[in-house]
Amino acid sequence: MQRHVTLRLFRHGTAAEVTLTFLLLVAVALLVTDALWKASNPVRQTIATVVYPFQRLVMLPKDALTAFDGWLNAASLIKTESEALQRQRIEMAQVATRAALLTAENEQLRRLLGVLEKAADRPAVVVEVLYEPSSSFVRRIVFNKGSRAGIAPGMPVIDESGVVGQITRVTAMTSEAAMLTDEAVSIPVQVLRNGLRLIAFGSGSPGKVEVRYFSSDADIKDGDTLVTSGVGGVFPPGLFVGRIDRVERSPASGFARAEAKPLSHPERNRHFLVLQVSLDADQAFLTPGAAAPAVEAVRAPTTGK
Amino acid sequence: MAKHSLGTSLSQARNLHPHSLETAIGWRYVWATTVCIWLLSLLPWRNWPVTPDILLVVIAFWSFHQPRRMGMVAAFCFGLTLDVHDAGPLGLQALLYALVVYGTQMLHRRLMRFDLLRQAMHLLPLFVGAKFVTVLVGTFLVSAWPGWSWLPAVLLTVACWPLVGWLLLLPQHRMDDAGTGIG
Repeated sequence: MQRHVTLRLFRHGTAAEVTLTFLLLVAVALLVTDALWKASNPVRQTIATVVYPFQRLVMLPKDALTAFDGWLNAASLIKTESEALQRQRIEMAQVATRAALLTAENEQLRRLLGVLEKAADRPAVVVEVLYEPSSSFVRRIVFNKGSRAGIAPGMPVIDESGVVGQITRVTAMTSEAAMLTDEAVSIPVQVLRNGLRLIAFGSGSPGKVEVRYFSSDADIKDGDTLVTSGVGGVFPPGLFVGRIDRVERSPASGFARAEAKPLSHPERNRHFLVLQVSLDADQAFLTPGAAAPAVEAVRAPTTGK
Repeated sequence: MAKHSLGTSLSQARNLHPHSLETAIGWRYVWATTVCIWLLSLLPWRNWPVTPDILLVVIAFWSFHQPRRMGMVAAFCFGLTLDVHDAGPLGLQALLYALVVYGTQMLHRRLMRFDLLRQAMHLLPLFVGAKFVTVLVGTFLVSAWPGWSWLPAVLLTVACWPLVGWLLLLPQHRMDDAGTGIG
C-alpha cells in the first residue's frame, strides 16, 4: 500500500517539473515576443479581447453609481458648467479677436516671405479613462475606445492644458496610453520663449519630463515653457508640454539637462482627446521621397521659422 | 491549541485521501471562489503599491489543498490575464503564479503537517523568492528597478494565507461539524 502511494507521488512530481519547464519556456517566449512587438502582440490582443467583457462587468456598479450621481446632480452640475463656460466665452472672445488679428498679420508676413502654410486640421476622438493599470514597472492609463474608433499606436493624447501622453497599445475596444513622464515617450519640443528645439523624454524621477542633449550654454532657464515643435510629424506643433523647473549644467561634459513639470493633469480628468494624426510620418522620414502631404503640413511652419 | 485541532483535522484528511477531501470540496466551489477573486482583482483597488495579491493566495491555497482542481497551467493562465489587465510585461505574473503553485505543490507533504499560520511561515521564502525572480526578470526587460514596494506587498500576501485559507475552508468545517463530510 505504502509503495503504491510513493510511486504515484513520484510520477506526479516528475510531471510537475515537466509542466513547470514547459510553462517557463512559454513565459520566456511571451516576454521576448512582447518586448519585440511592443504595439501589436497578437497573444495580448486575444487575451485582452477575452478579458474585456469581465472588465466592463466588474465596473458596472461603479459606472451605475457615477451615472446615478450625475443624474442626481445634473441641475447643479449644468449650472456650474454653464457659468464656467460663460466666463470662458468672454475670456476667449478677447483671445480670439487677438488671434484673428495675429493670423491675418502672420499670413501677410508669410506671403511676403514666400512661406507656404497649409491648415493642419486633424480629426480627433474623445476617450474616457476605463481604469489605471497597477503594474509596478510601467504607469499607463487604459481608455474606453480602441482601433474600432480609429485609434492607433503612436497617436498623441491631449487634454485642455496640453500633451498628456501617447497611445502605446490598442485593442479593438480599448487603448493604452503612456504618460509623457513615462520613459517610453519622447516628444520633439521647442522653448516657447526663443524657439530652441529640444527633445523631451520621460524621466526617472516620477512626474517629471527631462530635456537632454543640449549644450551647457543653451539659452534655457527656470520657468521656460516647452511646446511641441512638430518635428517628426507625430505631435502637431504648438501643444503645451511642460514648464522647466530645474536646469543642470555640467561644465565638465559640456552638456546640460533640464527637468520640466508637465502642464497637463492626467490624474484630474476623465476625458481626453486622441489626435488622429497620420502615422506614416516615421516612414516619410526614412524614405524622403515618400513624404505624406499631412507630414508636410506639419513640418512646413517649423521649417519656415 | 488551534494548531492542534487543525493539525488533527488535516492529518485526518490526509489519511482518508484522496476521495473524502475532494468530495467535500467540489470543483465548482474551487473555481467559483477563484473566478470571484479574479473578478475582484480587475477592480482598481490594487493600485496601491503594497496591496497583497489575494488571487495568488487563493490559487496557491487551492493548488495545495486541491492539487487536482487547480494546477500550474490554470495559475499561469490567470497570471496572463492579469498581465494584460495591468499592462505590464506579458508573462511576468504568469511566471510568478506558476512558480508559486509549483513550490506549493512541492511543499505539499510538509505543509500538511502544520496549521495555517505555520504554513504561511513555510511559504514566506517561496513567495518572496518567486516574486524576486519575476522582479529581476521585469527589471531586465524594462531596464528600471521598480523599488522595494514589492517586498511589503509579498509579506502582506503571505500574511493573508491563514485568513484566506480559513475563509475558503469554512464550508468544509461546517460539513465536518455536521458529520456529513469526512467521517
